[in-house]
Amino acid sequence: MKVSEIEMISPQTVEECLYHLGEKDKTSRFIAGGTDAVVRMKDGAWLPDTWINIKQLDSLRYIKEEENGIHIGPLTTHTDIVHSGLLQKKADVLTAASKEVGAVQLQNMGTIGGNIATASPAGDTIPTLFVLDAQIELTSLMEKRIVPINEFFVGPGRTVQAQEEMITNIIIRPQTENEIGIFEKLGPRKAQSISIVNVAISLKMGEKSRECLGGKIAFGSVAPTIVRSEKCERMLTINPLHDEAIQDIAGAAWKEVMPISDVRASAKYRRSMASALLERGLYRLMKRWDER
Amino acid sequence: MSKQVEETQAYKDKQNLQWVGKPVKRIDGSEKVTGEQKYKTDYNYPNMVWGKVLRAKYPFAKIKSIDTTKAEAHPDVVCVLTHKDIPGFNGFGIVTPDQPVLCENVVRCTGDAVALVGAETLEAAESALELIEVDYEVLDPVTDAEKAMVQGAPKLHPDGNIHSHVSIRNGDIDKGFEEADYIFENTFYSPRQMHAFIETEGGWGMLKPDGSLMIQCPAQYGHRDKLQIARALALNPERIHVYSSPNGGGFGGKDEITVQIHLALLAHNISGRPVKIHLSREESVLAGIKRHPFKVTVKTGATKDGSLVANKVCAIADTGAYASLGGAVTALAIEHASGPYKIPNVDMEGFCVYTNNGIAGAFRGFGVNQVCTGIETHIDMLAEKTGLDPVEIRKKNAYRQGDVSSLGHVVKSSVGTIETLEKAEQCDLWKNRDLYKSQVSEPWKKRGVAIATSFHGVGMGLGSPDYGAATMELLEDGRFKVGVAIEEIGTGNGTVYAQVAAECLKCSLDHIIVVQGDTTKTLDSGTISASRSTYTGGRAIATAAPNMINLLSETAAEILDVPKSEIELANNKLMVAGDESQFVTYKQICEILLDKRKSTRVEGHFYLPKEKEELRNSGGAPHHLYGYMTHVVMVEVDTLTGQTDVLKVVAIPDAGKVLNPQGLEGQSEGGAVMGIGYTLYEDVLIEDGMHKTKNFTDYIIPTIRETPEIVTIPVESNEETGPFGAKGIAEVVMIPIIPAIMAAIHDATGARINRLPATPERIYHAMQATKKPSLISR
Repeated sequence: MKVSEIEMISPQTVEECLYHLGEKDKTSRFIAGGTDAVVRMKDGAWLPDTWINIKQLDSLRYIKEEENGIHIGPLTTHTDIVHSGLLQKKADVLTAASKEVGAVQLQNMGTIGGNIATASPAGDTIPTLFVLDAQIELTSLMEKRIVPINEFFVGPGRTVQAQEEMITNIIIRPQTENEIGIFEKLGPRKAQSISIVNVAISLKMGEKSRECLGGKIAFGSVAPTIVRSEKCERMLTINPLHDEAIQDIAGAAWKEVMPISDVRASAKYRRSMASALLERGLYRLMKRWDER
Repeated sequence: MSKQVEETQAYKDKQNLQWVGKPVKRIDGSEKVTGEQKYKTDYNYPNMVWGKVLRAKYPFAKIKSIDTTKAEAHPDVVCVLTHKDIPGFNGFGIVTPDQPVLCENVVRCTGDAVALVGAETLEAAESALELIEVDYEVLDPVTDAEKAMVQGAPKLHPDGNIHSHVSIRNGDIDKGFEEADYIFENTFYSPRQMHAFIETEGGWGMLKPDGSLMIQCPAQYGHRDKLQIARALALNPERIHVYSSPNGGGFGGKDEITVQIHLALLAHNISGRPVKIHLSREESVLAGIKRHPFKVTVKTGATKDGSLVANKVCAIADTGAYASLGGAVTALAIEHASGPYKIPNVDMEGFCVYTNNGIAGAFRGFGVNQVCTGIETHIDMLAEKTGLDPVEIRKKNAYRQGDVSSLGHVVKSSVGTIETLEKAEQCDLWKNRDLYKSQVSEPWKKRGVAIATSFHGVGMGLGSPDYGAATMELLEDGRFKVGVAIEEIGTGNGTVYAQVAAECLKCSLDHIIVVQGDTTKTLDSGTISASRSTYTGGRAIATAAPNMINLLSETAAEILDVPKSEIELANNKLMVAGDESQFVTYKQICEILLDKRKSTRVEGHFYLPKEKEELRNSGGAPHHLYGYMTHVVMVEVDTLTGQTDVLKVVAIPDAGKVLNPQGLEGQSEGGAVMGIGYTLYEDVLIEDGMHKTKNFTDYIIPTIRETPEIVTIPVESNEETGPFGAKGIAEVVMIPIIPAIMAAIHDATGARINRLPATPERIYHAMQATKKPSLISR
C-alpha cells in the first residue's frame, strides 16, 4: 500500500465510523490529531486501506462531570485538558501530565483517545489514568463495553480494543477535596521529549500534619505497560510523609519496575530514576500540601 | 541590545562611521522572519523529475552485482543510473576525492550511494529504489577508530585506514614534565554532533537549452562545487552554473558535495527537464556528514606557581568512511590543542582514521571543540589543587600579541584573550557567583559557576588557497550591486557586506544590493567556512571600493569640469570640494558612463595574510589570525536525576572590531546554544555501523526552553589587517562554553564528565561514583 493510494473518509457520526470499522474487506485506522498516525504512516508502519478521519467528530470532544465520574471524550485534546477548570480542580494529576506531552503544538493536535489507543509504554497521560481509576468505554456496532484501565493494555502498542471497536468515552474518578496529585517526567530535555521514566501520584491526605490516608502511584516507561507500585503505595500510610519517610518509600520503588535499556537510557538508570522521580514528586506534593 | 553592546556603539559613533559598527537590521531579515524567503529546495516545477538515492544496505560489503531491470520497468521511472553512467571520475571530496559518486565494488557506510532513480513522482522514485537488486557480500564493519589503526584491521581504502597523521612539537616535552610539580592526565570523548540545519541537503538542476548545466542548491562554495561536478561529469566547468545561496543553515555540513553531482547526472539523462533531490530528515541523519567523534588523551604539566610547562596530546578522529575534510579537521585540532597559551614544551599529534561509521567532515569549530576540553579541564584541576584562581592561571599563561605561542611562533595579529578574561572577572555572574550558587530552586539541586577560554583560527591556514574577490557595479538608478560569491548560510554576512560597501562609498545602506552565491554573477571568493567571510568578503569589498570611487570621481570631474583632485565624496553624490552647489549624483554618473559605453563595474581582489613558514608535519599551522573567546556559565544540576540546566551564559568574544553588534549577538547566542547542545544533549549513535539515531525523535537539540539568559560583552582588539579592524566570530562562539559547562558541573557536584554529551544518566552515574562507599544505603 502506498501513501497516495490510501483512501481517507471523514464520517460525521459515531455510527458512521462504526459502520466503516465493521467493513471486513478493508483495513482501516483512525486518524485524529495525527501526531502518531502521520509519523507512522511516513515510517511505513501504518498503511491501512482507509484512514477514518475523526478529527471533526465534535460529539466525542467533551469534559463533563456525571454521577459516575468525570467523562472525557476521546477527541479531547491535551490543550483542552490543560485548560479545563473542572480537571484542574478534580484531576490535577491529569492536567499536569497533559502539559508534559511533547510541546504546545503537539498538545493542540494530539488527543487523549489517541494517547490511549497508541498504547506507548512512554505515553504521558496513561499513568495518570491508572491513578484516577479510569474506565475506557469501547463501542462497536453490536455492543458497548467498559474496560478498567488496568485491563486495557496488553503490551507495547497493544490493547484489548478490537478492530471493530472505538473508544467513545473515558471515565475517571474525580479527586476529593483532600486529594492531590502530581506528574513527574524525566525526558532528555524539557520540551518535545519522550519519557525516559514518568510517574503519576495521587494522595488522599488526612487531618494531621502530612498524614496520608492512602494513595496511588503509577510508573510509565519502566515496563511493557504501566506499573502500579503497590508496595510503595502501602508504605504511604505508615508514617507522616516527612523527608525521611519519603526517602524510604522512594527507596523501594526501584524493585517494583522492570525497565529495558534502549537508545534513550539504560535499564539501570531507569530503575534509579523510578526512585528519584517518586522522591521528587512526593517532596513537591508535600510542599504544596503544606502551603495550601 | 545589551548595555555592553551599547557602549561599543558609543565608541563607534566617535569614529564618525555611518554604517560600520551600527546594529543595522539584516537586509534579508523580514523575508526570513515572515517565511517568504524562498530557499533552493522550495522550488517545484510542473514537469519536474524526482530523484532518489539508493543507499547501501550494509556498512561494509562488496557489491557483486547491481540489477536495475525491474526498477527501469516501473511505469513512472524516467531513468535508473549506476556507476556505469558516470562519464568522468567516479569520486569526490574536497581534499582527497575518495568518496564514490555511485559505489562500484564496495560500500563503506550506510550513507553510501549505490544507484540513482529519476521518476515522475517522489513516491514512484521511492518504490523504484526497492526494485533495484544489489547482491552484496557482507563484510565485518570496522567500527572503532583505534582498532582500525591496528595492523591487520580490514583496510577500507588501498592506503590503509589512517587517512592522515599530523604532529606539532616544540621545546622538550620530557624536560617539561620533569620540571612540573603537578601532572594531570585524562582522556576525553566527544560526540558525533549533527548540524541539524533546518533545510536538509537538496536542490534542483537542469540542462539549459544551450546544453550547459545549472544546479541550484544550498551549498558553501559554489565555485568549487563546479569543479567537483566537472570532474565527475567530464564537463567544462565554465559550462556549469551553480547558484547556492541562501542556505537554510550550513554550519559546515554543506561544505562538501551533497547532492550536486547526483543532480548533474540525473539532469543529463532526462532530456532537459528539471530534477529535484531533497533528503528527508532520516536520510540526512544517515548520509549527511557529521562532526568527527574524537578520543583525546591529554597530559599537562604545571608548576606550583600556576605556570603550564608541558602539554602532550594524542587525538584520534573518526572520519567514517571517507576523508572529506577530516585531515584538515585533525590538523586544526592539533594546532589548537594547547589553548591560547604559551606552554614552552608541547608534543601533540593527531590521527584521522577511516571506519564504517557514517561520514564526518566540516562542522563549526572544526576540531577545536573536541580538543579544548583537555587543556581547560586541566587548568581547573590545577586551580583546585593549588588553590590558585582559575582566571589568574589563564591570564598568567595566555600569550599576548608579539609573544611566542605554544606552537613556537610569534603571534603577530591581535590577541584579546587577557581582555576577555578581565571582562569575565568583572562580570556580574563571576563577581557574585557565590550568591548565585546559593539561590538553588529546590534543596536537592546544586549550582556551579565556571569559566573557560579558547580561540579559533580565522581563514584556511597554510597550504590552502585563501582569497576573496568582490565586484561592484553602478546601476542606472544610482544604486550599487555588490557581488561576493561567499554564500549566506544564516550568518548575516550579506548585511555586513552592505555595511562595508555603504561605508566606503558614502551612500545609504538601501543603495547597496548584495548578490551572493551565484557563480555566473560573482567572482570566486572561497568558502563560507573557517570564520572567514566577514574578514575576507569585507576586505574584498573594501579593496574594490577605491576602484569604484576612482571611476566615479573621474567621471564627476569630467562632468563638472574640475580636476579630479577637487572632487569629494558626499552622501550619495560627488561634489566639488567646498562648493555644495556643484555636484553630480551617482545616477547621473551612471547615465554618462552608459552613454560613453564605459563599464560601470569594478573588481577588488584580496589575499589573506599568511605566516611565512608552515610548522613541519602540522597540516597547515600556524594561522595568521585567531579569534579569542571566554565564556562564564552557571548550571544547576538536579542531583536526584542528573538533569542539568545551563541558567546563565556570559559570552566575551574578541572578534576584532565589531561591524554589526546585532549580528555579533546573534552569532554569540546561536553559538552558545549549539555549544550547550554539544555538551549536554547531542550525539548520533551508531552501533556496528548502523544508525541507532534515525531522526529528531532521538537526536536531542536544545529548544527555547533549554536556552538560558545569554549576555554578550565584546572585546574589540583592533585587527589592523581586517576590514575596519574586524576578524571572525562564527566558530569560536561555540567553543569555550563546552569546557565551561563541564567545569560548572564539577563545581556544582564534584563530578567530572569526560565523555560528552553529559546526559542526565552520565552525570547521575558520575555523581554516584564520587560518593564514598558506605555500608548503609541512602
